[in-house]
Amino acid sequence: MTSTGESLVERNPNSRVMFRSLFEADLIALKGNRRSLILSIVLPLIILLTTSTHKAQQSLGGTLLIIGLAIIYGLMSTSMLGYALNVARDRDKGVFQRLRVTPAPTWMIMTSRLGVQVIANLIISLVVVIIGASIHHLTLTPGQYALVIAISIIGGAVFLSIGQALVGLLRSPDTVNAAGRVVFISLALLGIVGLNGALGSAVETASRWSPTGTIMTLFSGVLNLARWSSTDSLSLLACMIYILVFAGIGIRWFSWAAE
Amino acid sequence: MTQPREQNSLQILEIKDISVAYGTKTAVDGVSLQILRGEIFGLLGPNGAGKTSLLSTVEGLVKPIAGKVIVDGTDIRDNPALVKSKMGVQLQATSFHSQLSIKQLIKLYAGLYGVRMAPSEITAKLDEIGLVDAVSKPFKELSGGQQQRLSLLIATIHNPNLLLLDEPTTGLDPQSRRQLWGRIERIRKAGGSILLTTHSMEEAQTVCDRVAIIDHGKIVSCETPQNLIEKHKEDEKVKEVARGAVTLEDVFIGLTGGEIRD
Repeated sequence: MTSTGESLVERNPNSRVMFRSLFEADLIALKGNRRSLILSIVLPLIILLTTSTHKAQQSLGGTLLIIGLAIIYGLMSTSMLGYALNVARDRDKGVFQRLRVTPAPTWMIMTSRLGVQVIANLIISLVVVIIGASIHHLTLTPGQYALVIAISIIGGAVFLSIGQALVGLLRSPDTVNAAGRVVFISLALLGIVGLNGALGSAVETASRWSPTGTIMTLFSGVLNLARWSSTDSLSLLACMIYILVFAGIGIRWFSWAAE
Repeated sequence: MTQPREQNSLQILEIKDISVAYGTKTAVDGVSLQILRGEIFGLLGPNGAGKTSLLSTVEGLVKPIAGKVIVDGTDIRDNPALVKSKMGVQLQATSFHSQLSIKQLIKLYAGLYGVRMAPSEITAKLDEIGLVDAVSKPFKELSGGQQQRLSLLIATIHNPNLLLLDEPTTGLDPQSRRQLWGRIERIRKAGGSILLTTHSMEEAQTVCDRVAIIDHGKIVSCETPQNLIEKHKEDEKVKEVARGAVTLEDVFIGLTGGEIRD
């Protein structure tokens, strides 16, 4: 690195230093948005508290699935509403254009953003699983905690990629916000109503293979590893396909400029 | 292709036959320009003439459909990171992370250019521009003049060889504008070269060593402000719009027409 006052460097700035600067700035921005992070935890906590009765647990498929569902709603909220809206707003304000005229490559700018969002997802997942286990009197082994976190990372990646697709296909922050809410509600309903079969077998099947359904299947699978089945493996594969497709759309059509 | 630096030692920036198009609309049409070391160069033009598109191409924000941009001997396509590290940029509408304080913003952009700054150095820099008391404020809470001063500080944090300023005095009061001109002059005296776009003919005449007038994506004329006036003062269209002695503004309107552009 150079110190101030010297003339220009004759070589590229250090990538590690650039990434650290970006990542620190994005972490500060995440801390600044802590209200949004807290709100993303509130919804899962409400789900956990309102489903603590035996009847509710039975109708929703058991304690482990309820915790999985709660984590999914937290991840959906922070990834599809929080992340997508923040990116759309920063693009609209010209924050990205200002960063793009620096030596930092665009992949680094986006990786830093996504990295910080992954941290937010982990915080939400950990808080929800710890509180969920406490409310529902579950004792999870360190291995199960690790698996829950692993599935949270995969689930977070699915919803982040959907969020990325939203900001890739839509330009205006207002449109991204509105579309994010519609997608959020649709996926949330698929998770709650679709999976219990109340709307018929076709909806149940669609629900089971939706992003919400596949991640719930994975949560259920890792919390009861002895019963891991081919459906669980196929759900894992479906999640990977969702990530590739939505991230592909989001990256392919993403525009750094507002217009 | 990168050219040998010896051949270009006088030039800090060379724009060769640059064309920019947005869909079917051509914004810049085969423009060539050279900016010399230590020169303050003004790019003038009506709204939509292609100024910002040309500047954005040099900044690496817009990909041209033809031509090349060479900064200090390096083609931007060959090594964009190196070229960007040699340039300081102030965009027309600058926005920074809204959650970051001024101090955190300076630290971020210093890091992006590989410049290490101790807290005391950041304070000293902010003191220079009269913002030391605003160190913990976010960018959006600054006044227009303060934002402009901070943007320029961030654009020059790494002592760039070439500074690109897109309409830097738009919206500033006369005091802030004069202060900015002083800063631009000091940057030049310290060895920097500056390419700026402006709508202010007074600014171009006062600050710039040379100016180019761009219209409909093409360079109409490129001279020193005084030579430009001398060269065109007898043009019929210029004489038509002049009110007394011919000014740079008269030449500008004479060359680009009097109709309002949006």
